[in-house]
Amino acid sequence: MRGIGAIVANELVVTDVDSNGQALIALASDLPARDYAAIAWDVRDVTAATDVRLVWRSDYAPQRVVSVPVRIESGRLLPVIVVKDPGWLGRVSGLALLIRGPLSQPIRIRGVTAKPMGALEMSGDRIREWSTFEAWTGSSINSVTGGADVQDLPLPLLLAVAGAATVGLVWALWRWRPRRRSSTLAWTIAVVFAASWALLDVRWLWNLARQTQATAAQYAGKDWREKHLAADDGPLFAFIEQVRTALPATPARVFVVSDAHYFRGRAAFHLYPHNVFFESSRNVMPPPADLRAGDWLLVYQRRGVQFDPSANRLRWDNVTPLSAQLKLTGAGAALFQIQ
Amino acid sequence: MGIVGLVLGLLLIWGMGVAFVVALPRRSPLLPTAGGLAWTVGAGGFAGAFVATLWMRALSFSGVAFGLVAIFVPLLLLGAALAWVGLRRERPGLRRALRDAADSLRGLHLQGLARVLWLVLLAWLVLRFSLLFAEVAWKPLYPWDSWTQWGTKARVWYELGRLVPFEAPHIWLADNGASYFDAAPHYPGTVPLLQVFANVALGRWDDALMNAPFWMLAIALTCAVYGALRAWEFGPSGALIGAWLVASMPLANVHVALAGYADLPLAAFFTVAVLAGLRWLDSRESGDAVLAILLLAACPLIKVPGRVWLLTLVPGLVVAFLPRYGKKLVAAGFAAVLFALLVLARTNPVILNYRLHLDFAPEWGALADSYFLLGNWHLLWYGALAAALLGWRQLMSPRVAPLTMVIAAGGFFLFVVFAFTNARAWVADQTTVNRATLHLAPLVVVWMLVVFRAWVQDRRALEAEEHDPIAVRAM
Repeated sequence: MRGIGAIVANELVVTDVDSNGQALIALASDLPARDYAAIAWDVRDVTAATDVRLVWRSDYAPQRVVSVPVRIESGRLLPVIVVKDPGWLGRVSGLALLIRGPLSQPIRIRGVTAKPMGALEMSGDRIREWSTFEAWTGSSINSVTGGADVQDLPLPLLLAVAGAATVGLVWALWRWRPRRRSSTLAWTIAVVFAASWALLDVRWLWNLARQTQATAAQYAGKDWREKHLAADDGPLFAFIEQVRTALPATPARVFVVSDAHYFRGRAAFHLYPHNVFFESSRNVMPPPADLRAGDWLLVYQRRGVQFDPSANRLRWDNVTPLSAQLKLTGAGAALFQIQ
Repeated sequence: MGIVGLVLGLLLIWGMGVAFVVALPRRSPLLPTAGGLAWTVGAGGFAGAFVATLWMRALSFSGVAFGLVAIFVPLLLLGAALAWVGLRRERPGLRRALRDAADSLRGLHLQGLARVLWLVLLAWLVLRFSLLFAEVAWKPLYPWDSWTQWGTKARVWYELGRLVPFEAPHIWLADNGASYFDAAPHYPGTVPLLQVFANVALGRWDDALMNAPFWMLAIALTCAVYGALRAWEFGPSGALIGAWLVASMPLANVHVALAGYADLPLAAFFTVAVLAGLRWLDSRESGDAVLAILLLAACPLIKVPGRVWLLTLVPGLVVAFLPRYGKKLVAAGFAAVLFALLVLARTNPVILNYRLHLDFAPEWGALADSYFLLGNWHLLWYGALAAALLGWRQLMSPRVAPLTMVIAAGGFFLFVVFAFTNARAWVADQTTVNRATLHLAPLVVVWMLVVFRAWVQDRRALEAEEHDPIAVRAM
């Protein structure tokens, strides 16, 4: 491999390119070209603007290196159909993925598969795509993919086309019959539509059942507090529990700051009914003029905030230091009360 | 009180809502009609939930703290009084309605494979709502806006026992702790109040179980759609399939499983309100009109776009009340709005310092992905297109036209928002496009079925006339 990267949890995470502005992941192979029609790299988190190429060398022309561009969709690499490429000949002795930088984010490489692209294998690929478990994510509330993130043939489209073809066929037969009854056509439409919908719904319910199993594994049998400790932001929740004990019993004004807007919002949510203020979209500190004596400032994983304990002075962003008391500290976190 | 309290609380508002629907004025009994019980149960869920939030607003306005006695006892008494009023009319047919409903549930009206399919469909619904309940019960508040702008209000109002204002930053800073702040201080309070209600019933703050009202409303919507389709003269099987289609849209399911956004409640209230309005157009029973008005009033109090969804009813009302000129008026209205939009897209006027230019740049590709390729809607938009093509002659028939107009106005609204405004970015990144579409989607399912049925009926009438023209004319 050329570039900067490491194996993390069975994935090769490429974090940067080399001094030539490239990352190259190469492996030796021994593939008879005529038996394999496509090469599929399982790669995630590739931005659409990244220049990615599939590179190979074969025994037919050992000195010649062939490369073709790889298309990117939804952060993934699409399989490359190599069978029609004039350079895909003989035995392929080396495969590589060439990524030209700079990289705006790490790229995760899970593996590469040479595919014969026979009817059975293609069917298997499609079924795998449709049945891939789609777990809850932050974007689930906005959109349901319906299986794998990238699909060559979405199931709704296939069913719609198949349904339309069936109805079209029945309609043609229906037109041809001398004493035609529209109930035949209506029933066909209704049955085809309902059956297709049902098939999609079986897939969806199966996914939902698998999700419920995952949810149960994470939360079942736990009380409210234990659930939050088991949630994605469990460490934050645990720290906020300590913060709450340091705060007065009656609602106090608390300013929450963090580099990540996720933590700003989550920390605020856990702090209510204290009178919380947080910037939901901007990573900015509150103007010192907005802070009054008695207000609280919760800093969670936020760079640039400095505290001088000897003078009880708090400062950030080159503003005039404020007088404050440090009330609590945690990992990358602190609670101050403005004096 | 715990989970028992929560169940009793939900049953209380649901029961009170059912009593409210039953007590509404009407000339003839509601429950013995086709789908009358299902409609009452479904619509009652919405009426009860909304009335409960109105009562909580009244309590807060009067300075009475939220609590079991303050919230539940008056609602219980109200429910009992309404039940007494309603049952005076409904009592003679009640036993038969209950018996018919029990028989229907067991599929006794069907035989053989049809009965098996009926029972399978019911089991399918039970499985879905069981899985959704498990998610609601176990998973703490998860999606983004639910803990930055909805659950925030629920937490504060529950803990303080009253409504306190949420304000914009500059007001909050000057308020010295008298107001609160979150990511959307101006958002309305109905959904947070339902969450407060659930927490009061539970007797503790629980940001998972407080979303049980979302689950309840999803079931109520399913019942209401079944009842509405039965009233539209669909058979029990057709109505159940319609209810199943509404209940099974994946994005709607997600909004129950990951409850906390106001989109599904808005969609459900809007759908049932329009269905109540259509019932009123059919029956002219004032009770249906009152119910429609109540549920429509809830829409802007659930989410700000609820105001716009109210406007989408105008074309439906115009064609319903002006059968001769209504269609032309509505067509002229749509044309005028479209013309104005196109003018704004081609010019750059500035009025009172407001730049009114609009860019027409729809994200057709992303929109097609959302509607036709991704798993959000199953086959809803294919079906809606097919129904429109197949039944284009029936779209503007007297009974279908009002619903067609509401769907057209809703679709037009979505198109304008996503094609002419900055909201197109939300289409491209697949964020708000589906949530905004969800507001209209349950109604589109109903419309699709209604149009298809109208097409089938017209075809049958045509064939009957072809085969036996004299008999048909004699009818």
